[in-house]
Amino acid sequence: MPAGKKVNTKQPRATNLNEEEIRRIKTDTGKPVIGYLCCFAPPEIISAAGAIPYRITGLPGEDNSAADAYTEPYGCTYVRNILARATRGEFDFIDGLVISHSCDMVQRLYGIWTYYHPLPYSYLFNVPHQVSPWAQRFYKRELGFFKESLEQFTGRVVSPEALVEEIGISNQSRTLVRKLYEQRKKLLPGISGSEMLNLLMAGGTLPAKAFQAKLKEALLKAEAAHGQESAKPRILIWGSIMDDNALFRMVEEAGAVVVADDTCIGFRVWEKDVPQTVDPYDGLTEHYFVNFQCPRTDRGPGSKRFDYLVERAHEYKADGIIGYVISFCDPHKLDYPDLRDYLKAEGLPMLLIDDNYSFEPAGAIETRLQAFVEMIG
Amino acid sequence: MSQSEMSRAKRHLETTARMKEMLPRFFMRMMERRFSNEPLAWCMVGVPPELLKAFDLLFEWPENFGTMCASRLVAPRFIEVAEGDGYSPELCSYVTNTMGYCKLFKEKGEAPEESPLPGGMGTPAMLLGSGFICEPRWKWFQSVATRFFDVPVYSTDPLAPPWDVDPTDPRIAEHYLTLLREDLAGQIEFLEKQTGKKLDIDALREIMALSHQALAYWRDTLALRRAIPSPMGSTDYFHAIIPQMYLVGDQEAVDFYREMYEEVKNRVERGVGVVEEEKYRLIWFGLPPWFNMGIFNYLESHGAVFAYESTYNVGDYFEVDLSDPLEALVRRTWQRALKMHEFGAEAMPELCNPAVFGGFVGSNLLEELTRDFSLTGAMMHLTRSCRAVSFGEVHTRNRFAQIGLPSLIFESDMADPRLWSDAQIKTRLHAFLETMDKVQKGVNK
Repeated sequence: MPAGKKVNTKQPRATNLNEEEIRRIKTDTGKPVIGYLCCFAPPEIISAAGAIPYRITGLPGEDNSAADAYTEPYGCTYVRNILARATRGEFDFIDGLVISHSCDMVQRLYGIWTYYHPLPYSYLFNVPHQVSPWAQRFYKRELGFFKESLEQFTGRVVSPEALVEEIGISNQSRTLVRKLYEQRKKLLPGISGSEMLNLLMAGGTLPAKAFQAKLKEALLKAEAAHGQESAKPRILIWGSIMDDNALFRMVEEAGAVVVADDTCIGFRVWEKDVPQTVDPYDGLTEHYFVNFQCPRTDRGPGSKRFDYLVERAHEYKADGIIGYVISFCDPHKLDYPDLRDYLKAEGLPMLLIDDNYSFEPAGAIETRLQAFVEMIG
Repeated sequence: MSQSEMSRAKRHLETTARMKEMLPRFFMRMMERRFSNEPLAWCMVGVPPELLKAFDLLFEWPENFGTMCASRLVAPRFIEVAEGDGYSPELCSYVTNTMGYCKLFKEKGEAPEESPLPGGMGTPAMLLGSGFICEPRWKWFQSVATRFFDVPVYSTDPLAPPWDVDPTDPRIAEHYLTLLREDLAGQIEFLEKQTGKKLDIDALREIMALSHQALAYWRDTLALRRAIPSPMGSTDYFHAIIPQMYLVGDQEAVDFYREMYEEVKNRVERGVGVVEEEKYRLIWFGLPPWFNMGIFNYLESHGAVFAYESTYNVGDYFEVDLSDPLEALVRRTWQRALKMHEFGAEAMPELCNPAVFGGFVGSNLLEELTRDFSLTGAMMHLTRSCRAVSFGEVHTRNRFAQIGLPSLIFESDMADPRLWSDAQIKTRLHAFLETMDKVQKGVNK
């Protein structure tokens, strides 16, 4: 097998940049940092409790062997990567950890991490797997328990007013993200997919004002862009967590543009505002649970569960879908055959990249991407 | 793997050997009813079989069907069909076995001829899932109903409190009990709609009473395995779970477990063990390799006997008040959650449940089992396609290292014999037995 080139050496990784930034912010503000994985536990509550929410990300392709002392090799490589990083002490800037019962492996990461590397604060946010009325009621009660635990840790009461304010601030960010995504509908999008992903990763990291400044800057640039380039094949990327833009860059280098996405850190977090409800916890339940399109949540049988994705593909005029699934990612891998067939019926070609969270061997992935781009071009 | 490497299990108890007559009788009764076009439900473990029985519903267990396909070595045929359809080889082999079976069923319009049961699993009228154990279960029936059988699906979601939450806090208990009650009510509403029958509470109470009688005998039988020599091995254990799945609530099941208890008790009194010279007393973690259950007999031929298995203790007996059978079902689930909470991963590592994974602090189940069952070693089967069971075995190994008990993790699968490497695995098993020899000699010095 030819050695693939190391895509990650091409530019600084967003994860590294964000971690440098959060260390500085923590020093400046003196606030505790609460690391979180997945979005079922709303970061707005963490902010309202006087802490800084920080979305923990991994470093694809890095050595995972530090996880071997605690976990089996046959497990999600993303989870193993995070655990290896925790074992090496790379998350020494976080004071607390919030993990949602999103998928099995992430949920188990909580037990292993907190047993072997305990933190001053940790919370497992339990999430039902379906959106029945009783599941929604459970989720809302769970929000209350989560709030109480944060209050005990930070010593600050989460008032409804403070929570509404935090929701309002994050909704401002969502408005800006949506405006940027509008720019991606243009024949020549004003912002590349790889730039957009890096921005959204900053969204899980930076204080809202700093994030919004970055969004506004990118928006100005995107609105001013009037390229003369001819149209390129347009790609929507679907799949497992994407916390490194390497694949996006590979797609772009193959001659296509990434115009939309459906991955963990992507648009799904920002697509819609948190509804402003009389009880703010109702709005959070609707946004982070009922409407949150993660395949781990059962939305009943039938292909209609993918309608949102097809609509998005049409909205952004995608010519094809590239699926990216990480080794041992059960929710995505089990959805793939149903999704592939549905997309085919809808006239949308799909390519699946099955990766061990390393984007290696890069040459083999690039060859497949090039062939797909040529096919749909 | 080659077929010659696989061997069927030899059971030691006369009671379990009689299952060969008992279960076909049951399947024949079921077949007759199927031919009368009675509705058939495909179900997952975690759906209370007592409830199915109370609705007098025909049911089948695709997971159990997977074990049968594995033991008859036809699972690879179905799994390969599923892989050709786009299902990853990494996915649960029970799921891919079902998907391949369904695809062939739909293509042929009838059960594939390779099916281990006459008529296969039949055509489902509904799918009853449960998120009780793992995440693939949520996608499994969703996909069966999307791709193959367009029938209604109801899945229960029996969540349990995470290990670092106090379940004895009344607010926490009510938080979870409320979900369990509402979920059960939804399940009953679904069953009443699909069957056109009202739930007969009195019938459910009687069924649960019989079911709990059977489970109590099962509990007492397992406790007898503390005896030296161990009177019952894994081949009997893994097969003896089946009557509780199919014959729940029948007097026949109560009789079966009572007779098994009496037989095992008699063996203890007479000092009859699984092997003549019991050199190693082991605990088993993980799903068994259903395609090669003879591996247990192979180990027995070297004096190694399993006195305890962590897997399939899900049917544990719990004291509940049966006067309100619906509340009893809820409380049984809750009692199980509390047990998992108390012992964490050490109790039932096969459950991907927040209560299970992490609750290691303060747990002493492994110490108790080692002492009570006089264990000399632990063997863990890392099933590549089932992370629900496997992810956690390294931690369990770490815990045994603290206790000073030798342990081994070896890799294969529960239903896919393509992942069985006979020479490699047996070499590892032998090396482990030698390790235990050295440890035991060291202890005896």
